[in-house]
Amino acid sequence: MQSTMKELDPILEVENLSASTDNLPILKGVSLTVYPGEIHAIMGRNGCGKSTLSKIIAGHPSYNITNGDIKFLGENINSLEPEERAQSGIFLGFQYPIEIPGVSNLEFLRVSTNARRKFLNKEELDTFDFEELVKEKLELVKMNHAFLSRSVNQGFSGGEKKRNEILQMALLEPKIAILDETDSGLDIDALRIVASGIKKISNAQTGIILITHYQRLLDEIEPNYVHVMSDGQIIKTGESDLALELEKKGYEWTDNFIKEN
Amino acid sequence: MEIIEKIKTNKSIDNETEIQKICLNKLQSSPLPNPKSEQWRLSNKSKFSNFLDYSINEKDPKFDTPFPNTSQGTIRLVIGNNCQINLIGENYSIQQLSQDELDKYIKEQISCFDQDENWSNLLNLSLSNTKNILGLKINGSKIPSIEIFSHSSSNALSAKTLVIFLEKNCDVELLQVNLGKENSSLSQSTYFCLDENSCVNHGVVSYGENRSNLLNSLNVIQQKNSEYNLGSVHFKFNYARFEISIKQSEGNAKTNIKGMQITKKDEQISTYTKIEFNGPNGFLDQINKSLADDESHAIFEGTIIVPKIAQKTNASQLSRNLLLSNHAQIDTKPQLEIIADDVKCKHGATISQLNEDELFYMRSRGITLPEASKLQLSSYFQEIISFIPVSKDRWDLLDKLLNEK
Repeated sequence: MQSTMKELDPILEVENLSASTDNLPILKGVSLTVYPGEIHAIMGRNGCGKSTLSKIIAGHPSYNITNGDIKFLGENINSLEPEERAQSGIFLGFQYPIEIPGVSNLEFLRVSTNARRKFLNKEELDTFDFEELVKEKLELVKMNHAFLSRSVNQGFSGGEKKRNEILQMALLEPKIAILDETDSGLDIDALRIVASGIKKISNAQTGIILITHYQRLLDEIEPNYVHVMSDGQIIKTGESDLALELEKKGYEWTDNFIKEN
Repeated sequence: MEIIEKIKTNKSIDNETEIQKICLNKLQSSPLPNPKSEQWRLSNKSKFSNFLDYSINEKDPKFDTPFPNTSQGTIRLVIGNNCQINLIGENYSIQQLSQDELDKYIKEQISCFDQDENWSNLLNLSLSNTKNILGLKINGSKIPSIEIFSHSSSNALSAKTLVIFLEKNCDVELLQVNLGKENSSLSQSTYFCLDENSCVNHGVVSYGENRSNLLNSLNVIQQKNSEYNLGSVHFKFNYARFEISIKQSEGNAKTNIKGMQITKKDEQISTYTKIEFNGPNGFLDQINKSLADDESHAIFEGTIIVPKIAQKTNASQLSRNLLLSNHAQIDTKPQLEIIADDVKCKHGATISQLNEDELFYMRSRGITLPEASKLQLSSYFQEIISFIPVSKDRWDLLDKLLNEK
């Protein structure tokens, strides 16, 4: 499987990336390449830089890239605005999806979808056409239509917020989706719904990066590669059995690995 | 300060009515508001002076209302343009107050005026001639929505007065629209009397054209078991003041206020509210939102007065403010004056900028920064706008105006 993927051009290349916020270095030389059809998992202790990496790829304005490059479909995107990255096909599923009181979920989804469609030279959808599209996508995450008339994420349970993230992913049809702890706060049933949604959306042309602490999401979605991060660096990369080993031995095992190297 | 000079010499206002005489006399001794008083200390002197620079206009040119044709069943009135009003429906009546009723009521009000607190009312009544005072007595239920327009004329100062008596058990929706024409000043004073068990959803939408000014005062008296709901928005004025005074004369009444002011360029818009509970079991829920951009200045000062007689009062006042520019200014001062010892009263104020987490979330979905800001501002307005009794089809124009840079 690996060799087939690597015959294609990579979707995402993170090359020796260092970044800081408020002059505090967070990432210290991260390299990662994702090819079409690949699923990567990034694991690591809290504060090791996993979420920061995802935000920097999505273009969060609070972080400065101090060294290295991010390339998306071969183009350097270091200086692109977050909306330009999203329109071109980068999706970040938030660990803590933001509530936006007063903005209807339906309108938010429609404006987002049309921004992406415009980039893809597809016809923008009016409210009626969009309702048809969104109905179909709601099925993927088993969400009730009533969620659309509420404000974005306001009053949603943890599980509903995460399902709303996957609904957005389904509508935006990204080239690469970075899902930051999408499994946190989910019960077993919700986890299965979310995992099933992700599997249905992903295909041989897309890449996925799953940021997680737990094996349980990886039981549902098997990654091609597992990366372990510590102190702003990827310290070990392996295949799916690395996650199992990590689950068994804990992060102390990776501490030993750092000492050895 | 053309008007003040004329008031001092009392030259310009011919054939003044008895009410005008009383008010002019009161103003002659101290023709300007006290700049050291709490109500006026933050007022921009040069802008206020600009308000008073125009000559009084007693006759309005033809006025085209900016909204589309009246929605079916809506009663539309323009202060200064109306003939005798006597509308009688199956379950309601809307009748014009007689001159005697109006004079009696206004004189009672004037006798309670404080020179600083009611300076805007005194000026208004000094300048409003009989034609520009509209008094209505509303009775009954299932009353069609009422829209009342008040407007200034270019290069002039116009003064309009509205008096509304809501009789017992009456329930009505009333939208007041105040329009400032280019280079003009509008003085609008409104008096609302809510009798027992009456209820009004009152909307006040005030907006101006280039370099227009507004002094808008609203005086409400609520009898017991009445409910007064006010949703208001003021924007696009060089200088505007919205002065609200509400008195629950015997307590046991409900007041809900949701107001908003938007300032851009170098505009100054301020809201002053004074809510008095003169009896027990009164209820107030008030939120005022300001949004200040560019080099503008927004002011909110709110006072809640709870004397000893007003036990079991439940009052809340919140001021929320958004600063969109490093050069804009917001002053806010919610305050409580409580003597009664068995009450629930709270107040608070926040000043912030646009929420960066919300902005990034929207941008990460492909929404551009200007669009994301617009969505966020719309959500900020939503709570207030949904409280203003305006039919959806009328909002197109206002929505456009609100989103104009």
